Amino acid sequence: MPALCAEAVSAGYGRSPIITGISLTAELGTVTTIIGPNGAGKSTFIKSLVGILRPMSGRVIVNDVDITHLAGHRIPGHGMVYVPQNDNVFKRLTVRENLEVGGFASRADPRSRMEEVLGIFTDLAKAVDKKAGFLSGGQQNLLAIARALMVDPAVILLDEPTAGLSPAYTDVVWNQIERISHLNTAAVVVEQNVERALKHSDHVHIFVAGRNHVNGTADEIASLDLPSIFLGRS
Amino acid sequence: MQLFWLSVGFGLVTASVLAVSAVGLSLQFGITNYINFAYGDFMALGAYFSYALNNELLHLNIWVATVCGSVGMGLFAVLVNHFILAPFARRFRKTFYVLIVTFGLSLVLLNLEYSIWGADVRFFNMPMDRAHHLGPILLTNAQLIVMGIAVLLMLGVHTLLKTTRLGKSMRAMSDNTSLAMTSGIDTKRITTITWFLSGTLAGLSGTVLGITEGNLTPAAGELFLFVIFAAVIVGGVGSIYGAMAGALLIGLATEISAAYINPAYKLDIAFVILILTLLVRPSGLFARPGKA
Repeated sequence: MPALCAEAVSAGYGRSPIITGISLTAELGTVTTIIGPNGAGKSTFIKSLVGILRPMSGRVIVNDVDITHLAGHRIPGHGMVYVPQNDNVFKRLTVRENLEVGGFASRADPRSRMEEVLGIFTDLAKAVDKKAGFLSGGQQNLLAIARALMVDPAVILLDEPTAGLSPAYTDVVWNQIERISHLNTAAVVVEQNVERALKHSDHVHIFVAGRNHVNGTADEIASLDLPSIFLGRS
Repeated sequence: MQLFWLSVGFGLVTASVLAVSAVGLSLQFGITNYINFAYGDFMALGAYFSYALNNELLHLNIWVATVCGSVGMGLFAVLVNHFILAPFARRFRKTFYVLIVTFGLSLVLLNLEYSIWGADVRFFNMPMDRAHHLGPILLTNAQLIVMGIAVLLMLGVHTLLKTTRLGKSMRAMSDNTSLAMTSGIDTKRITTITWFLSGTLAGLSGTVLGITEGNLTPAAGELFLFVIFAAVIVGGVGSIYGAMAGALLIGLATEISAAYINPAYKLDIAFVILILTLLVRPSGLFARPGKA
C-alpha cells in the first residue's frame, strides 16, 4: 500500500482547472520529485493535496484514508505534512515554539519527538531559543522541514525546498531529505533543478501544461530527451 | 506636589482601563488583520450589559455584574463575527471592505444603545467607597480593584500567549494564517476564541471605564477608542506588550497633564505623544516586522 495515492486530481483557481487528471503514488522510504517547466502546475498540485486548494475531481488517499474533502488543518493528523516554498516558518516564534506548533497535530509526546527531530537537525538544536525570523534562509527551510517532521508523518510534501539557497546549503537540504525518507517517510519534492532531482530521487514525475507528461524511475527519466520535453517539442 | 501624586493615581487607573481595552483590540487585530472600528461600541454595549444586570434586571453586585456583562459581550462579539464580519472577510480578500463594515456596525450598535437606554447619563449601583493612602497616592477601593483586575489580566494574557497551546496557536496564526492551517491549527476555532476574548476584554474595559468615570453614556466607548488607538499605535500595532506599554504611557501622560493644563486637552496630549513617538520610532515602541 503506498503512503500517498493521488488519483486523477484536477484543481485550479476559479472555475478553470490548472492541473488535470494527475495521478501520483509515493511509497514509504522513497523520494519522489516533480519537475517540469514553469507554470506546469507543480505547486498547484501540491496545494490541492493539502487543502489549500480543493480538488475539483479526483481523490487523495493517505495511509489508506481518503482525505480529499478533509479540512486542511486535519490533514497533518492523518500523516501528511506540507512545507511551502516561501514564508514557511513562524518568524516571530522561537525555533522551539515553531517545533511545538508543528507537533500540535500529533498525539505522541512532543518533547521526545522534539529531541528526535533536533537530533536530525543539529544546527537548529543550537538555536532553539532564537526567533525563527533571525535565522538564515537555508536554516529557515531546515526549520520548516523539522517542524513538519514533528508529527512523524508518512508523507512530507516539499515545494522547492532549495530555491534561492547557496549550492552548499542545497546539498545540506537534499541530504536531509534523503535521510528523512530513509526514516520510513515518503518525500514528495517539487524541484526546479533537473540534475539534482534525478540524482537524489527514486521516482520522477514530469508535469507539462497541467498534466502528468511522463513518470518513471530516475534512470528511466534520465534516458529521455528532457530538453525537448521542457521546451515543448515532444 | 500633592496634585502631581493625585494625578499619578488617576493616571494608573486610566492606564489600567486602557491596557485592558488595548490588549483586547490588539488580540483581535493580530488574528484577523483588520481594525474593528466598532470596538468602542463593544465597550459601551458591554458596560450597558453590566449596567442592566447591576441596576435593571437581577440587581447583582457591581463586580459580579461586571464579570457576567463582559462574558455576555464576549459571546455577542462571537455572534457579530460569525454572522456579519466573517462572511465579508471570506468574500473580500482586501481587509479594507471589512473595515468599512465595522464602521457601519459601530453606527448600528451606537444607535441600538440609544434606542434601548436613551441618551441619559446612567450610574452604576456601587457600594459606599473609601479612599486609601498608598504612600503619596490616594485611591478608592473601586480604583484599586480596577487596577488589580488589569494587572491580573495582563499576567493572564502573557501566560496564555507564552505557555499554553491555545496562546501559541494564536501567535502562530497571527504570524502566518495559511501556514498555521497547514500545520494543523484549526484557524476557524482560534478566530472564534479570539473574538470571544476580544469582546470580553472590550466589555470589561467598558464597564470599568464607566465605574472609574462614575457614569455611562452610549458615546463613552467611541470617545475612548481614540485614546486606545493612540496607546496601540504608540506601543506598535499588533504587539500585545506594546499595547500594555502604550497604555501605561498614554494613561499617565494624559492624567498628569490634566493636573497642570486644562483637562479638556487630554485627548490632544495623547495625540501629541503619538506624533512624537512616530517621529522617533515610525513603527511604534514595540513594532513587529511584517504587520501593517
